[in-house]
Amino acid sequence: MSGIELLVGSVLPYVAAVAFVGGIAYRFSTWSRTPQPGKLTLYPTEGWDLSSAAKEAMFFPNLFKGDKVLWLIAWTFHAALALALLGHLRVVTGFFDAAFRSVGLSLSHAGFAMLSKIAGGAAGTALVVAAIALLLRRLFLPRVREISSGPDFFALLLLVAVIASGDALRFGSSPVDLAETRIWARSLVMLSPRAPTNPAILLHALFAELLICYLPLSKLMHFGGLFYTMPLVRRS
Amino acid sequence: MSHRETVVNSINGIKKGPKVLKLYMEMCVKCGTCASVCPVYNGKQEPKYNPANRSDLIRNIYKKHNTMAGKLLGGLGGAKDFDATAFEQWQERFYSCTACRRCAQFCPFGIDNSVITRKGRTILDALGMTPASLQKVVNVSLEKRNTDGASADAFKAAVAFIEEEMRDEHGTDIKIPVDVVGAEYFYVPPSGDVLVNIEATMGIAKVFHVLDMANKWTMSSQCFDGANYGLFTGNDAQMKAINGPVVEEAKRLGVKYLLMGECGHAFRVMQRMMQPGKWWGELPFQVINCMEWTADHINTGKLQFDKSKNPQPVTCHDPCNFAKSCNIIEAPRVILRACCSDFREMTPHGAENWCCGGGGGLSAMNNIKEFRMTVSGIKKRDQIHATGAAYVAAACSNCKRQINQLVEHHKMGVSVGGVHDLLSRAILVDGNAARRVDYYQ
Repeated sequence: MSGIELLVGSVLPYVAAVAFVGGIAYRFSTWSRTPQPGKLTLYPTEGWDLSSAAKEAMFFPNLFKGDKVLWLIAWTFHAALALALLGHLRVVTGFFDAAFRSVGLSLSHAGFAMLSKIAGGAAGTALVVAAIALLLRRLFLPRVREISSGPDFFALLLLVAVIASGDALRFGSSPVDLAETRIWARSLVMLSPRAPTNPAILLHALFAELLICYLPLSKLMHFGGLFYTMPLVRRS
Repeated sequence: MSHRETVVNSINGIKKGPKVLKLYMEMCVKCGTCASVCPVYNGKQEPKYNPANRSDLIRNIYKKHNTMAGKLLGGLGGAKDFDATAFEQWQERFYSCTACRRCAQFCPFGIDNSVITRKGRTILDALGMTPASLQKVVNVSLEKRNTDGASADAFKAAVAFIEEEMRDEHGTDIKIPVDVVGAEYFYVPPSGDVLVNIEATMGIAKVFHVLDMANKWTMSSQCFDGANYGLFTGNDAQMKAINGPVVEEAKRLGVKYLLMGECGHAFRVMQRMMQPGKWWGELPFQVINCMEWTADHINTGKLQFDKSKNPQPVTCHDPCNFAKSCNIIEAPRVILRACCSDFREMTPHGAENWCCGGGGGLSAMNNIKEFRMTVSGIKKRDQIHATGAAYVAAACSNCKRQINQLVEHHKMGVSVGGVHDLLSRAILVDGNAARRVDYYQ
């Protein structure tokens, strides 16, 4: 086993998991514990409950009112990200194949591969296009450029690296052997890592692990912070 | 303590709360949406007017000392330590935000930059760096209980003058009771609505008169100003010190209702901050607003109007503190539709209305008039112009001052006044509207 395989395949996955879970739990707990005297309700408000939270998290209606172009880019990016994350469930487990069969939809192996190719291909394309659009915005729109600094570019470039290396796997000439990634995932859960050897997979995994470690430290926490900031101005 | 120490200590305190500031320090994704919807940035696209940029003055220092990313990664973690040269810009920067809260309405995370602006002003205030024009207003309020520095005698003379005007208008006595212990309603306007722009107070007096409630309300010769510039300078202790006497007076008079006049921030401080924050414990009275009160009586058909008295096209400017922070959006429209023949809405209006450009106390700062006329007020100017209105009704002394200067500066030929001002001209007293209106344009 090479040093890279050991690092990316066996060590960093655990480091990333601990940093991710611990980091997010820490941030959420500090946010929950910090006192808020007084309300800052912004009117008109529909209040803040499960359904308004779900609506805000899934469709970004505030942003839609404020900036339609950014909304299109951001929504595309996040929806494709959700789709890609779901796709990765299939890459590391047999979850979808089994789920489809359990509801009586028996797709052939080739059928699954086709479905994955379409959905994954669409997500992979949308992600890279949206990420580049975000980057261009940050570079060339004055109102965004003048508020951008290190962390903004770093987060975006890291995302581009993860997406591009993932797209290389998806669209590259040699297809990924799902058996290898599933064995790797299972071995990680069993605490006896068997790292993949495909360098393209290792590269993608390395970027992803860095991103996962960085996420709790960064503004990328907005995915959860939304549920803390929004109620401050929405609760009536 | 050096400036650096005061600034850094105060910012480090955010770690312990309030939650809203802590989250705003850690959550902004720098998407630029706030800039697209900001009245100041829309007036002039300069980096120093970009809301996220202004908030970064505090955010960068917070990150330097309080976040792992800032400590570990420095600049790459968004951190930048206190810098004396940059601090020289703070006063201008934090006093070029109108605190209108429009950014929070469109931010995908609801981040309200006005909260950060106020924090910046609190820090400046602690260092004695509140702009002299605003500190003067605070000091006058603390000393004289009103922002105009008027005496009880001056107030009583103004009330006598207003009563005389109403007698001339309607040929009957319409009273403004003063210092009546045991009244039900205690009317607290901005002092300007008694001393300078008297029509709003005339409108209120006429409503009480028509409802046959002239013996149920009172004003106070000791407390006739709801304005509270402590909100704007970020000095909580002074904000409470200015607020206290009004509450005391309401208790002394034994009223059931504290009826706040046409002043957005005064009502917000009373109803949204003082009362729920229990600054003075449980209150024996209710805090209500004159526009909702009057609108209720219009809705129940108790007031009649002669709309032909207000034939000019009228539009409504929503003061940010009323609309965005207190949900008073419909009430002024009920009144204006009832007493004007040609009411027109601005686009957008209501809670999403553009700030007049003088919010957050800026309206009272003569030294930044150029900025208010050519940067922060531009959106409002264009909005008013697009309606073709000849009269802008704004239920707020600060908005009125700013818009008045705007229409003069840009030679728009538009009059500016309050909501009850128009009511005063059209309301029927004993079947007749006011006979003469020659003291206004």
